[in-house]
Amino acid sequence: MKKLALILCLFAGGLLLMNAHYLPMWGDPASPASTHVSPYFIENAYEHTKTPNMVAVVLADYRSYDTMFEAAVVLAAGFACFFLLRSRARGKKGGHHYYRHIPTGVTIKIEEGGKLPAENSKVFRSIDALWTPYDPIIQTTCRCLIPFLQIYSLYVLAHGHYSPGGGFQAGVVLGATIILLAISHNLKTSLKRMSERTAALWSIIGVFIFAGTGLLCLLLGMDYLNYEVLAPLLLSDEAMARSHSILIVEVGVTMAVMAVMVWIYYNLSSAGQQDEGL
Amino acid sequence: MIIFDIFIALLLAAGCVFLLGGALGILRMPDFYTRLHGASLLDTIALVCLLSASILYVLTRHPDVNGLITSLKIILIAVFVFITSPTATHAIADAGRRAGLKPWTRQNEEESP
Amino acid sequence: MIPVDIIVLTLIIICALGALAAKDLMVAAIVIGAYSFLICLLLAVMGAVDVAFTEATVGAGVSTVFFVATVFQTTRRTKD
Repeated sequence: MKKLALILCLFAGGLLLMNAHYLPMWGDPASPASTHVSPYFIENAYEHTKTPNMVAVVLADYRSYDTMFEAAVVLAAGFACFFLLRSRARGKKGGHHYYRHIPTGVTIKIEEGGKLPAENSKVFRSIDALWTPYDPIIQTTCRCLIPFLQIYSLYVLAHGHYSPGGGFQAGVVLGATIILLAISHNLKTSLKRMSERTAALWSIIGVFIFAGTGLLCLLLGMDYLNYEVLAPLLLSDEAMARSHSILIVEVGVTMAVMAVMVWIYYNLSSAGQQDEGL
Repeated sequence: MIIFDIFIALLLAAGCVFLLGGALGILRMPDFYTRLHGASLLDTIALVCLLSASILYVLTRHPDVNGLITSLKIILIAVFVFITSPTATHAIADAGRRAGLKPWTRQNEEESP
Repeated sequence: MIPVDIIVLTLIIICALGALAAKDLMVAAIVIGAYSFLICLLLAVMGAVDVAFTEATVGAGVSTVFFVATVFQTTRRTKD
């Protein structure tokens, strides 16, 4: 089977390599893409949308179907992980629990049937059975870094009109902060900050914002995702309406991507049980 | 101006030498902890050299407000690397200790050549 | 003078072969992370900064975490 896969792989790769010289050179001014499509975008992007970053305009305005379905694909990936992995079974290995006495840092093991501390106890904290380092250095550093990372992701989102960045990147960075919290503390801490239900709701709401913007354009009598018609709603002229709509759409993408990243991580790291992470 | 250029070149060369030393340390050191120590320390100091070279470059080429803002951003990068890089090294070394890796000594080497 | 993208492309191919050849799946996951960073470098050299940013966050950041989490929950040895 492995031999067959190798032969198929070499065959397909050889076909690609044989035909690679038909592709235009990188940056070739005579290639079809740079003679028809690109000049139109380069000349008209700023006039149409008042947005200097052409990549954001192409992604969120001219080719917004692509971006919308990308967000939908990300949402579908989150759902796939959920349906494949999530299980209600609390398969505790051995049935015992570990708690940490916070003032002294001592770890205690409570056998099956023992009396557990209260869920919201200030003195005892539930920890993972495998190991969770009692490490003030890592926890403090992550605690200090996470707000900066989140502000940076919001900057990436809001500044996407002027500099590289946009919805996907901001969403991934924002999701990575929650994942960092789950890695540096434990899964329960991050579940307390952002529960699974919140993650699922946010991902759906994010895609809904994107699709709803398009649907609103349809209801107001224009094409799907043609933002110009939203100008009276956004209290601006047509170009600025497109610029604002790009921001709205990117906010939706950010919410969807961020929530889906966190959701997938919850399911993957705990094998669908969501009691103990890595 | 030429003085600054020579200084920038010296800083860049020093950064490259430190990076090379870190790579050699990973290859030549006897065990996990010494390799980690060489790599992390030399990477950090190499990054300081390279970033200060880029700050000098920006400030000599664009001696205005934009250049100042850019160099401030580079200083922020250095600050964050100074916070995160030792923490990452600490986490990796801690994970190695928990996984049961013994530090290298001469006795260890004689026992298991 | 060898251009930068030739060096980076060579390193990318070496990383891809290394990830395929690794017996330990954790090693393969980490090498895939290095591969993503090199792709990001290549895109930045070509001037596609937006795509490079996406590759750095998605490819090198989050997917490496996902790979490591998956390998951690399953097995570290490959079957073949």
